[in-house]
Amino acid sequence: MLTLWRRQRWWLTPTLLIAPGIVLFFTVILLSAVQSLWISLHDWDGFGPMVWIGFGNYVELYNDPQFYVSLKNNLIWLVMFMAAPPIGLAIALLVNQKIRGMRFLKSLFFIPLVLASVTVGVVFTWVYTPEFGLLALIFKAFGATAPAVLSDEHFVTFAIVIAALWPQITFCMVLYLAGLNNLSEELIGAGRVDGARGWNMLYHIVLPQLTQVTFIAIAVTVVGALRSFDMVSVMTRGGPFGSSSVLAYQMFEQSIFSYRFGYGAAIASVLFVIMAVFIVWYLTRIIRTEERGG
Amino acid sequence: MSDLNSRPLEVPSFNSREPGRMTSLELRQINKNYGTYHALRGIDLSVAEGEFIVMVGPSGCGKSTLLKTIAGLEEISSGQILINGRDVSKQEPGDRGIAMVFQSYALYPHMTVAENMGFGLRMAKRPKAEIEAAVQRAAKILRITDQLEKRPKQLSGGQRQRVAIGRAITRSPDVFLFDEPLSNLDAALRTQMRVELSSLHAELGATMVYVTHDQVEAMTMASRIVVLNQGVIEQVGSPLELYRNPDNLFVAGFLGAPRMNFLGVTVDDVSGHNVTVSAPGLMPVTVELAEPTVLPKGASLTLGVRPENISVVADASQGGAINGQVRLVEHLGRETILYIDAGNLRTIASESGTGNITVQLSYVAPFAANQNVALKLDARELYLFSPDGGRTLSARKTILDR
Amino acid sequence: MYPRPIPEAAVWQRRFYVLGVVVVLLLWLCPLFAIILTSFRSTEDVMGGNLWGWPTKIGVVDNYTDVFTQTPMARYFLNSLTITIPSVIGVLVLSTLAGYVLSRYRFPGNMVIFALFVGGNFLPHQIMMIPVRDLMVRLDLIDTTAALIIFHVAFQTGFATLFMRNFIAALPDELFQAARAEGASPFQTLWHVAIPLVRPALAALAILIFTFIWNDYFWAVVLTVSDSVKPVTAGLANLRGEWVSAWNLISAGTIVVAVPPVIMFFLMQRHFIAGLTMGAVKG
Repeated sequence: MLTLWRRQRWWLTPTLLIAPGIVLFFTVILLSAVQSLWISLHDWDGFGPMVWIGFGNYVELYNDPQFYVSLKNNLIWLVMFMAAPPIGLAIALLVNQKIRGMRFLKSLFFIPLVLASVTVGVVFTWVYTPEFGLLALIFKAFGATAPAVLSDEHFVTFAIVIAALWPQITFCMVLYLAGLNNLSEELIGAGRVDGARGWNMLYHIVLPQLTQVTFIAIAVTVVGALRSFDMVSVMTRGGPFGSSSVLAYQMFEQSIFSYRFGYGAAIASVLFVIMAVFIVWYLTRIIRTEERGG
Repeated sequence: MSDLNSRPLEVPSFNSREPGRMTSLELRQINKNYGTYHALRGIDLSVAEGEFIVMVGPSGCGKSTLLKTIAGLEEISSGQILINGRDVSKQEPGDRGIAMVFQSYALYPHMTVAENMGFGLRMAKRPKAEIEAAVQRAAKILRITDQLEKRPKQLSGGQRQRVAIGRAITRSPDVFLFDEPLSNLDAALRTQMRVELSSLHAELGATMVYVTHDQVEAMTMASRIVVLNQGVIEQVGSPLELYRNPDNLFVAGFLGAPRMNFLGVTVDDVSGHNVTVSAPGLMPVTVELAEPTVLPKGASLTLGVRPENISVVADASQGGAINGQVRLVEHLGRETILYIDAGNLRTIASESGTGNITVQLSYVAPFAANQNVALKLDARELYLFSPDGGRTLSARKTILDR
Repeated sequence: MYPRPIPEAAVWQRRFYVLGVVVVLLLWLCPLFAIILTSFRSTEDVMGGNLWGWPTKIGVVDNYTDVFTQTPMARYFLNSLTITIPSVIGVLVLSTLAGYVLSRYRFPGNMVIFALFVGGNFLPHQIMMIPVRDLMVRLDLIDTTAALIIFHVAFQTGFATLFMRNFIAALPDELFQAARAEGASPFQTLWHVAIPLVRPALAALAILIFTFIWNDYFWAVVLTVSDSVKPVTAGLANLRGEWVSAWNLISAGTIVVAVPPVIMFFLMQRHFIAGLTMGAVKG
């Protein structure tokens, strides 16, 4: 028996080593995703039996005005989130100087990234509080009254996205700082010798070297915009009247508060498909670079 | 000793004060400090138009730093840099009239070869037609006209290097700067590119400043060599001048491979221009001094002799003879290198440990390890170096034999 | 170095630059400052509407003690610790094993499994919510710290495996070949060769995963109900629900929740940043 083990261990051991990770990940995570898709084809309140209704949930979703509100909000998130990489790059460029004290200041800039989303949500709820919040103070300084953004259906999503941008910009900044650290000194030298300065240097010499970092920053930002839940939940619970809801939140609401798990699963599935398109594209890019040895 | 009486043949060296020759590049008292580390100390150099200057030295000597200060990629702590008479010490690299070929070529990976070569002119906002013409011209000189639309990653190492050179050519600079451009090439390609660079220089007639750690490149390509050591210029001169008449022990030991043998000797007798020295294991030998010097009897000096100036003789009783045992024989096809264990003889940091002498014979000989040999040093080709700072005390030697 | 370093000699330029950065930093962090300042306010001031004028009384001590005495914050903290620390350990172990196998062994499906680990990382949590919740209900683990531990270990293993796999893949092949030539078993190679060399990566990963799990909100809300189990994130949200306009208290609570990750970050800053960029840039 021992010799059998010895002879086969070159493949047995790795299999055993990777087994727990795979089992756990695949069952809890991947299998769940598939299960949700299955559930979305049923009507279910979480306790009773699941009733097959085929695409009934999806039809209802198609006719649900709240669905379109959520979709629109996700789009607003996506578009506004695209400001994160450039602003992150700007701050990275700002702090990338070897002056005494800069390292400490740099680390202070990172703080929004380390805070829990709840914390950010509460902080900005306080900022937006009418009469007393920071926003109100600023408006008062100019002699005006601040709108109660979190209660105004026209402004609410924008206000929430701005809150979410705080940590998102920070993440992009961290990525770009790392990218700036890896620039080729020689290429910059060649650019200087060629007379490239200021914008020319940034556009022609530096940015091309940051392509990989930009790719990641955009990927993470897109995923963040589509997945957004925490901020909405903490700041407005989707209100006022669902006007700030996003797909992720609507799903949660329908499942937990309305006990419509089938319907919620349908919403989740739609969100999943949207993200799947993005994930597949991203993965094929990665695998292609891996195989090329890049 | 009749050779010493014949007039030494001077290899003409470029002198900035010669009429009709402009000074392309002038360095005045260049100093560079990195905090407390004094990287460059009081560098003075005058380069005439069309010269090919090679800066050599061991790692850390400051040659790359010096090149970068000329380029403007590094700042100087004090001193002046003048290019064609203009003080460029505080100017941006792009405004100095220089072009640089980097060690790893520094080609812009996202641009085509043509775009790489035209980038500098594009930054200077030259008209498109002018840029195109310059690029075509440079591509023709370097024979890369059919690579113009390719990207750097599609080219071989040698081709990339040509593009890097081409990029420099299109800018028609006053001075070309090369930062160890051949180090990344394999040996065969390196030899080929060395020849090509030399012919390129002849064709363009441009002023070139070239940094390398390879003394073969220095010897073969330079019109003048600048030897740097720990931020200081040790000597400047033509390759043969530096080889035959090094100013000090450092330069003597740096040029020439296998390296010059350095033996510790003591003064036996001084009379006028001549001094007789000996050492345990070395029969007394007389060396001519550059000028009459006061050398007390018994003073320690360093005797230098190149491996090619030692011969194997029948017996070790004459002046300048050494007894030794062969440790290792290397047959290089056209020559033999012997590593000799010379017993008590004190040597300084030789090729393979102390107590060893390297001999280079220009013939193939059947020596074997542990064989006893008698060596004789060629008395006309000996160098003497002072104990302090290793200044050369011996007289100048002729450059060319015939 | 880009942007161009300001020369060491230009002392005043350097000082002004730092000053400029400080100004930007203050603007950047002003929401945080607002909350910190509010946590110093006494309840009297808040009730009286005096939030930004001169304080009549400094309520710092009161607020922060109230946070711990009047709210279940201490319990929330304990829960966070109970959930996060075992999860981090679990993730490190599983991901190192999986990452080692994925990076050092060629077998059909290696790339597919790797892709699944990476892709699973990007899934919206909502797509897993119902089945995972259902699983916990059926295992009778709903509303327990164990439920959160199981989930976090499972989910974070995705990102962590990607991370460790890339790191181990970057180790020189010769080391592993030498170990194999000397007759080491796969596990021995892992234990004696790979793990000692990836210690910095493990440190970086540990701090990252710690922050991710500690800061998780969604699953805390989905899988826990009672205060005795909730971690600080869900706890803070609850707090806000209960003490609606006592902003001085809520602010104090927010700061308390914010402090541990920030402290950990400052202690392990280099590892944290290295971890983020290693994982991101490689993947």
